[in-house]
Amino acid sequence: MPSSPDATTVPAPTAAAPARRRMLPLPSRPGRRGHEARPVGAVVALTLLGVVVLVALLGPALSPYSSITVSGPPDLAPFSAGHWLGTDHLGFDIATRVVEGARTSLYAACVVTLGSAVFGLALGTLAGMAGGWVDQVLMRLTDLFLAFPATIVAMAVAMGLGPSLSSSMIGIAVIWWPLYARLTRGEVRRVASSPHVEAARLSGTRGLTLVRRHVVPSVLPTVVVTASMDIGGVIAMLAGLAFIGLGSPEPAPELGLMASSGMQYILGSWWIAVIPGIAVGLLSLLFTYTGDALRSLLRGTGA
Amino acid sequence: MTRTDRPALRVDGLTVRYLTKGGPVVAAADVDLRVAPGQCLGLVGESGSGKSTLGLAVQGLLTREEQVATEGVVAIADRELDPGDERGWGQVRGHLVTTVFQDPMASLDPTMTVGRMLTWVTRDKQESLRWLEEVEIREPKVVLRSYPHQLSGGMRQRVMIAMALARRPAVLVADEPTTALDVSVQAQILSLLRREQDRLGCGLLFVTHDLGVARTMCDDVAVMRHGRIVERGPSAQVFDAPQDEYSRRLVASRLTLDTDRARPVGPPEPTVVASMSEGLAQPEPESLTRRWSAGELTWASFAAPEPERRRPPALELVAVTKSFRTGGLLGSREKQVLHGIDLTVEPRQSVALVGESGSGKSTILRIAAGLEQADGGDVVIDDRGGAGVQVVPQDAGASLTPWRTVEQLLLERLGNTPEGTGLTDAERSARIRLALERVALDPDQVLRRKAGQLSGGQRQRVAIARAVVVPPALLLCDEPTSALDVSVACTVLNLLNLLRQQLGLSILFVTHDLAAARVIADRVDVISDGRIVERVDAGDLSDSMTSAYGRRLLDAVLP
Repeated sequence: MPSSPDATTVPAPTAAAPARRRMLPLPSRPGRRGHEARPVGAVVALTLLGVVVLVALLGPALSPYSSITVSGPPDLAPFSAGHWLGTDHLGFDIATRVVEGARTSLYAACVVTLGSAVFGLALGTLAGMAGGWVDQVLMRLTDLFLAFPATIVAMAVAMGLGPSLSSSMIGIAVIWWPLYARLTRGEVRRVASSPHVEAARLSGTRGLTLVRRHVVPSVLPTVVVTASMDIGGVIAMLAGLAFIGLGSPEPAPELGLMASSGMQYILGSWWIAVIPGIAVGLLSLLFTYTGDALRSLLRGTGA
Repeated sequence: MTRTDRPALRVDGLTVRYLTKGGPVVAAADVDLRVAPGQCLGLVGESGSGKSTLGLAVQGLLTREEQVATEGVVAIADRELDPGDERGWGQVRGHLVTTVFQDPMASLDPTMTVGRMLTWVTRDKQESLRWLEEVEIREPKVVLRSYPHQLSGGMRQRVMIAMALARRPAVLVADEPTTALDVSVQAQILSLLRREQDRLGCGLLFVTHDLGVARTMCDDVAVMRHGRIVERGPSAQVFDAPQDEYSRRLVASRLTLDTDRARPVGPPEPTVVASMSEGLAQPEPESLTRRWSAGELTWASFAAPEPERRRPPALELVAVTKSFRTGGLLGSREKQVLHGIDLTVEPRQSVALVGESGSGKSTILRIAAGLEQADGGDVVIDDRGGAGVQVVPQDAGASLTPWRTVEQLLLERLGNTPEGTGLTDAERSARIRLALERVALDPDQVLRRKAGQLSGGQRQRVAIARAVVVPPALLLCDEPTSALDVSVACTVLNLLNLLRQQLGLSILFVTHDLAAARVIADRVDVISDGRIVERVDAGDLSDSMTSAYGRRLLDAVLP
């Protein structure tokens, strides 16, 4: 059996794949097509993201209605006067509730992703820099979390804490951080043995300063890009948990919950369930594109 | 093949422009070349001179590059071709013109055996075997069944040569064919190339940055600079009596075993002169330059006063051993790389550790730097003479953290030493400016830059500045000049010598190049297979070297 000489130090495949995508400071070689092309897609994605964030921030101020009070006749179809996206079975304005729901989703997803990324980054860096048994213990712990089906774990945690938005956020964070820990650890291990870190060590820099100045900046772009793509996934998962009743209770304006409660009217008033569903899809898609955009922008700067 | 008086390779008015964001960059400007059958033409120059571009153009390797504009004609064995147009190259490239590249590992297919690759060219197993015998590979039958990674660098290059010549080309292009090889292998490969080329009578275009190699190898040389040929002629004439100003400087920068050790090497370099003027009786740059050119400037005039008391050695290694574990989970085994090394570097002494790759010289350096732990023996460092141990690495570019500026890196080093912590911000800033000036860099120009924005020579000097901004007790140099152009290498050696005198540094200089070693060191220790085989005074290297291995290294330094 062929055995690679450093079989024990090769990062796990999941960690290696994103690492290869990393934006290395490529020397700008002359004579390559696309070198000068402006990242049009990137600009579009970031602009759209800006609009969505702005709408979410301004949310309540944009609508004359409240998201949790009756504002018109029930079951009004989309494009009705005064209610662009119609009303639901109780007469709540769907447009107002979708904006409010998007606002909640964005906030929750950002908090969850940021939290998991920071925690995973810290743990992964510690494991990668320390090596030896610390690395072993931390990585086996990570494996433990990755070994169970993610959705089931998130559901179990949310259920255990009692259905609410914060429970489902915690549930998702619990399954999300190990991915960052692994990603970071692989990258840190690679950078830690690179000549510039060795040189910094020789010049007398140690401990946290060494990590902060000479190691983390090379991991950060990868983590930031991955995180911005992950926000979309987290939004979808939050909606999923809310859909099966593990998020906030009725009548909270949460996209997953709206879709779920609209399901019983799907034959008569399809829009009550479908419009929040579309909103979830679009938000997820937007963040996937944003991640791509960030990656191409970061590559441009050689960060 | 019929012999004619027509040149094997003719290049007329070749101009190559790379179209970049900042406008076109001319890599070759109106170049004319002739290589007769059986002639070897050396194309020498420093990086960026356009020699490699020219090498690519005559192989028709620029035809598919977008953003490259070419003019002129390349004629190979009377076939006129357009270097910018793919038409016609198909029957020429790999047939009439073949190549030996610098890195044979990158040019050989790792998934094929040598036999398969070679037979693809020769179309006959017996013929392949005969070619391997021709290039003097030991055990050719075994090599035929081997994969490239199972061969040594020298053997791979022999295989490359066999493959290139088996096509019976009219022109062979050799692009730095020995740069990646150990010095003692280099000579064998060169004589093999020359012999085979004579036998087959093909023209050889030999691209190299190494003037010594060009001189031994080539009938004629062309010196390139900024895409132009500035001088051409028979090698002996160009090297012994260069006419052009630039070739004169290039030839003067070459280190041999006869280079004067007591004086700065190479022609006067303004930036080095500027950093010399500190603390001298006659500090004017003009007079320094004049004395340098006249050979009146000796290192002794820069020496800092000797301290009164004798100090213990800066570095003392006693019976140091080290082994590494190789192999994976299965078949792992210990490989001993150091077998009881004894090595002492006295204060203010400079010792060169000379050996080939795999001899263990870098391991010694890493142990002295504290980057590896010795398995046995004692490592004693007396750091009362300065602030710890510092390293000047071979690849300075990789040793500078890419996102930190030069200023940040130097301040960081300064702040980490007891000497630096006591200083105010203004004093620290003055201190790093001085360090940069000492290595002949303009502080205003480089302080805010990052490694990616510096040239190779600048990076090397920044690495030195970082190492000496607070003078270390021991300075370890790991082949600091081997990746540099000759003139830049000269500057770096001069600067190291200057710093050594001014700051009274103790230096351990690891290298494979005896010519560089004898310029920088007081003593040369020769290491082979993890044992120090010889210890000689750098002053009379050629006379006092007695060990067989030492003589081999000595012979590898081209005259």
